[in-house]
Order: sequence, then C-alpha cells, then structure tokens
Amino acid sequence: MNLAVEMTQISKRYGDVQALDQVSLRVEKGTIHALVGENGAGKTTLMKALYGAMSPDAGSISINGEPVTLRSSREAIAQGIGMVSQHYGIIGELTNLENSILGAENGAVLTPSQNQQRAEELAQKMGFEFDWNAESSSLSPAGGQKLEILKLLWRNSQIMILDEPTAMLSPQDSDALYDSLKQLAQTGTTIIVVTHRLPEVFEHCKRVTVVRGGKHIADHEVSEVTATQLAEEIVGGSVIERPTPASSAGVESSLAVRELVVKGDKGEIAVKAISFELKRGQLVGIAGVDGNGQRELFHALIGYRKLVSGSVTDGNQRWDELSIAERINAGLRVIPEDRHHEGVIEGWSLYENSVLGLQTLPEVKNLSQSQEELAPKMAEKFSTKHGGLNQPMSSLSGGNQQRFVAGRALELFPNLILAFQPARGLDLNSTTKVYQEIRRRCDGGATAIIVSFDLDELLDFCDRILVMNHGELFEPQPEEARDRAAIGRLMVGAA
Amino acid sequence: MRVVWLVIGGIILFIASLWVAGANPLTAVTQLVTGSVGSASAISGTIRELTPLLILGVSVFLALKAGLFNIGAEGQFVIGSCFGAATMLALGGPIGVVAGVLVGAIAGGLWALPAGYIKAFRNGHEVITTIMLNNIAVNLTKWLVSGPFKGEKAVSATTATLPVNTQLTPLIKIGQFELPQAVIVGVLLTIGVGYWLSKTTSGYELRAAGANPTAAEFAGVKTKQVTVKAMFFSGAIAGIAGALQVAQFEHRFYDGSSVGYGFDALGVALLAGGNAYGLFASSFLFGALNKGGTSLMGLGIDKGITTMVLAIVIIIFAAVKYRQRGGQND
Repeated sequence: MNLAVEMTQISKRYGDVQALDQVSLRVEKGTIHALVGENGAGKTTLMKALYGAMSPDAGSISINGEPVTLRSSREAIAQGIGMVSQHYGIIGELTNLENSILGAENGAVLTPSQNQQRAEELAQKMGFEFDWNAESSSLSPAGGQKLEILKLLWRNSQIMILDEPTAMLSPQDSDALYDSLKQLAQTGTTIIVVTHRLPEVFEHCKRVTVVRGGKHIADHEVSEVTATQLAEEIVGGSVIERPTPASSAGVESSLAVRELVVKGDKGEIAVKAISFELKRGQLVGIAGVDGNGQRELFHALIGYRKLVSGSVTDGNQRWDELSIAERINAGLRVIPEDRHHEGVIEGWSLYENSVLGLQTLPEVKNLSQSQEELAPKMAEKFSTKHGGLNQPMSSLSGGNQQRFVAGRALELFPNLILAFQPARGLDLNSTTKVYQEIRRRCDGGATAIIVSFDLDELLDFCDRILVMNHGELFEPQPEEARDRAAIGRLMVGAA
Repeated sequence: MRVVWLVIGGIILFIASLWVAGANPLTAVTQLVTGSVGSASAISGTIRELTPLLILGVSVFLALKAGLFNIGAEGQFVIGSCFGAATMLALGGPIGVVAGVLVGAIAGGLWALPAGYIKAFRNGHEVITTIMLNNIAVNLTKWLVSGPFKGEKAVSATTATLPVNTQLTPLIKIGQFELPQAVIVGVLLTIGVGYWLSKTTSGYELRAAGANPTAAEFAGVKTKQVTVKAMFFSGAIAGIAGALQVAQFEHRFYDGSSVGYGFDALGVALLAGGNAYGLFASSFLFGALNKGGTSLMGLGIDKGITTMVLAIVIIIFAAVKYRQRGGQND
C-alpha cells in the first residue's frame, strides 16, 4: 500500500482532558478516506495535528513515507497539505479570483489575467465554473465549498482535509462535490473527509477510520463493513437500557411545530420541514451531532430567527407570530448556547444581569427592587460562586456564569423552557441539579426542550428523545425509544 | 482613581506645553484660574460656556449608552438653533420661547433620525452618516438664513434679533453674577436622563442593546427600535441645546454661530465615564478651560493650547478605558 499519510500513536492532552490517546491513521495515496466519530471524539484534533495547527505530545507523522515535523500550518502547506474547516474562510467582499489566491499571491503585484488563466485551468479540471470577477458573497454554500477546494488546488495541495464538507449542502450538491473529489483522487490527490454521515462514507469513500473518546476504535475497508456495525463503533457499545425517568406529562398538548423550514447563516436550508408535537409536562431532548439544524430550530422557537415557512403553535396561540418579548411574557425561558453573546452582559453586575430577559414581566415592575430580590435567589439555586452580586459578570468563571444563567431561566414562572447544552461547563453534580430543577418545573406544568450533543445526558434525564440529522427530525420507534444504539444510528443517518 | 491620575497628567502636560510656548507656567495657570473662576463675571462666563456643553453632553451620553457614537450633535444643535430661532421670531413672547425650544427638539430629533434608521436597518455606521448630516445641516441653515429666515434689515446671513420679551433672562442676577435658565434645563435633563437610564425598564433595555445587542435581542429587546429611538432622543436633546442657546445667549441665529460645541460635547460625554452625573464635572472642566483659555490671549498664548491639552487627555482616557475593558467596546 502506497501511504500518503501515516500518523502513528498520536497523543494530546488539554488540561485534564486526554483529547487523543495513541491514535493512528494511515491513508492510502489517491483515495478518499473517511474519519468518523461523535462530537469530541478527537477527529478535529487529529486533523489539526496533520495540518500543523497543533503539536502533539507524542507520536510521529510521515508524509509519502518521509517522517516530518509540522510546527505550523505554513510548514504543513509546504508539505502539500491543505485543510478546509467547517467555518470556511471565504471573504465575501473579495472576488472569487481574489479569494482563490488569497494567502498564496505570487508576488507583490497581482497579475489578474495570468492568475485568472491558471484558476480557470484548475477549475476546468474539476468541472467547476466561477464568475471570477463576482464578489464571493454571492456564492451559494456549494459554491463556497468548491472555491475552498480550488484554493487548495491553487496551493498545489496533494493531501486535502475536508471537515464536514457537506454540512450545508443539498444532496444533489453533495453528490456533485464528491464526483469532483473522486476526479481529484484519480489524479493522485489524497482526500481525508471528516464526517458523521454514514451514507456518504458508504457511497463515496474507500476506507474509514473510527475514533471515539480520543481513542482509535477501528479501521475498515468500506466494502467490508455494515452501517449498523459502524454506527455502533461510533457511539459505543453500551447496550444497557436506562429506565425512562418518571414524567408527569399529561395529554394536554403544548408546543406544536408544523412543517417548519428555517435558513442557516449562509442561506442554506438548515431545518427541513420538520413537525413535532409536545405534551405539557414533557421534558424532551433533541439529540444529534453539532451542526445538523438544532441551532436554527432553537433560534426559530425563541423568535431570534425568522421562519421560511411552517408554523409553531402553543395550544390555540400562534407562537410564531409573537415577538420575543411576548413569548417571554407567555413563559418562554431560555438557557442559550453561547452565554457570552446571548445570555449575559459581561460588564454588568450580577444584580443587573438578574432581570435580563425578565424585565418585561409584570412581576419585575420595579427593576431595582426585583434585582435585589431575585439575584440572590438565582445565584443560590445552583450555588454560583461569585465575589459579590455587585461584581461584574465577567469576574465569574464560565461554569459559574452558566449556573447563574440556568438559575435565572428557572426562577420566575417558566412555561416553556428552551435549553441549549444547559450543562455546558458544569460538573456532574451541578448537571444533575439543573436537570432536576427543569424536571420540577415540568412537573409544575412547564414544557422543556433540551438540545444536547451528549446523548447519555439526554437518556439520563429526558422522557422523550428526538434526533436531528441534516436538518431533518427523527423519532426512534417506541420499542427503541431508549435504545442508545438505535438512536445513535439515527444520529449518523444509518437507520 | 484613574480619573485623578488623568487630571494630574493633564495638568503636567498643560504646564509643559505652556513652557514650550514660552510663557511662565505659573503666571499662565494663575491667569487661567482667575479667568475662569476668579470673579463673579468669570464664573458667569464659565457657566455660559458650560451650558451648551452640558446639554450636548447629555445628548452624546445617551447615544453612547445605546452603543451609538453621535458625532452629529453639532449638526443637530445647528438645526435646533435655526428652526428654534425662526419659531421664536414668528410667535414671539414666552409662548414663542417654549414653542421654539420644542420645535428645536423635534427638528434636532428628526435630523438625527436618518442616521438611526440607516444604522438599525442597513447597518450603515452612524459615525459616517452623522458627519455627513453635519455638513448638510451647516449648509442648509446657511442657505435658510441667507434667504427665507434672513432678518429684514440684516446685511449678513442672520435672522433678526429676538425681541426682548422673547429672550430668556437670567434666573438669578446679582451684580456681575448671572445664572442662566438654560443651565437649569441642562441640570434637569442630566438628572432626568440619568434616572431614565438607571431606573426604568426602557432605559435598562437601551443600555442592554448598547452593551450586547445579541443578548438584548434574546432578552426580548427590540434593538433596532431602540437604536432609532435613542438616535431620535439624542438629536432632540442636541436640538434643545441649540434652541436654548438662541433664547438665552445669542438672541439670533446666524451662519457660523456654533463654535463647535457639538464636537467638544463628545469629549464631555467620554470624560463623564459611565455615570450621567459625571457630565457635571466634565462640562465644567471644558467650560472653565474654554473661558479661561480666552484670558490666556492676554499673555500672547493662543487659546488653542487648552483645546490641544483636552484632546490629548481624551485620547489617553479612551486608551486607558478600552484597555481596561479588554478591547471591548462600550
């Protein structure tokens, strides 16, 4: 076997977390190789090591049989390695041609006509078409992805790393992209695709490597493995069924979502006509790998993102026609994903932050008085450690900010609780406390939707689990509702 | 504490530049202090200088709290002056004064509105739009007082002079000392805006939108509306400053009547820090230096030296403040 990439026994530790534990990866030259695993499995960390963006604590890397040390991305690029990350680096204000050569200009003076000729040749080889002088902001998500690949070709990359390349693409665009990639592979380019979408692996890749929890789990020739086996290797083999937590969910319907369509930041359809209905008192978890439309769904339910079509109702009320403030007055309480940007004002004291998002409630008529009254309760609820409630929020650690934000969301008469990774940055004990409090509120008649990338957390605390994959919503069969492996298959599209 | 160091630093800087300019620093500083607070008439002069700065300071301060840098206070002030003067002349008497101030407020508010809308709905930067609106304001009012609003007997570009019954008289007048009514309005506006921002729900929402628009949106604040509203009120307060300047001090509006109060007010609001009541101290500092600076001319030192020192102090202040915030914007 002619190996383009050989990573041997790579280890990396971040603080207390062993991100990679002696992981090896061997990629054959001129093939498309899939690297699969859950969030936090170590896929991206491993690829960072190959791209020179991270130096491993131990292990060695060989490129085309030659041992190399990659101290920076610059050195990796010099070795012919290129990477397209999920948050790709196209600058909208530059033209497609300017973007293609960005960072690899061949001198102090740009030579547009010469550059365009070369770019055109590269694009033709791939079957890409670009309007070279158009601003890149007008590109579709698929066009952006193609331009990223062209950027790598411009740099003569022989080894390309693509991180979730189809995350924002339609099935047709995904197929077209893989056709181009296959063409590239035939000319000797090696392609590593980081993905969690098993159908892609089976249709387009030659070999697959599975990582889980920072460890190397398996290597397969794709033709010699089944989807079920691969899905089990990805999510882990724990087959112990957990008891469904006691729920006081009734029959009265609560939030109902019908044919909801929501766009993502880059204009792609991120939520694809999903429908579901919740009962009052339910604590529902939405499982899935990051970037499958959960964020867009969450934002749409809050009212932060517009719906393209579909409806959201709560009982007889058209929820989607309410402003955010009206939803809050109707009982919406949010534990947002990004507390720095979405949840708190860092320069303000804990007092001032305590009524943020509650300021329009009739119970919070007198701001100063309410702050005096509420802030201590919210801080106490999940034992927020702070140096005084008059201290700025920025003086708190991330975990303590999370405790305070969770305490705030669950203090004043919640009716619909939306939480995105509510246990982010919390220890096991606090995590349990937060979920117990959410459960207590559900027992009191509230409904809760929790988005989490941690399936075990959801299995432990939620009485119903839905799965999002590629913008679509799935619900496991009743007999498999608590089956970790079955849910795992839905998460990676292997069901 | 930082402010104290800043003031001490400013003083040292000032003395050094006086020395470079060839004056005896001791004589010059004495002259400056006497010229600004050394006598009843000097104090009256300082109050006259600080009055528009205080009100305009409130205007800029309010916008800053909403996350907007209103460089357009100057233009809104000029528009308020011009339309205020025209209204006062048309109606006359105390009613004319009240109506003139109201018209000044509305005119100033409307003048700022495009900047608010462009910021909120097109994300066009308010610094650019308000600077452009300043240019338009200056030239529009120049045309108005050269034509439609020009006084009958006037030879230059100016309105007629307000009749005595349409002028604001000093509230208190003892010998050389005068306390203008306009400064009382300024004090009330400062207290009012300070209270609004710190104690009311809409003030709280305005500050939230200024400090972290995303978090404010999540909290149910309609940040676009807040931006438009804040810009309008900021412009309205600047317009009030303009109209009061006519009623109390100038008694007419003429081309070039503003000496750049709107720009000094940026410094006043920045130096006030996070607290509205800081505007009292910062507008006094600016007013005293403006007044005292004039008396430096007797020593052959250009008045500009105080402006220069203030400018340097503000730059240092901005740098220190931003560093403390870890580079984050207010």
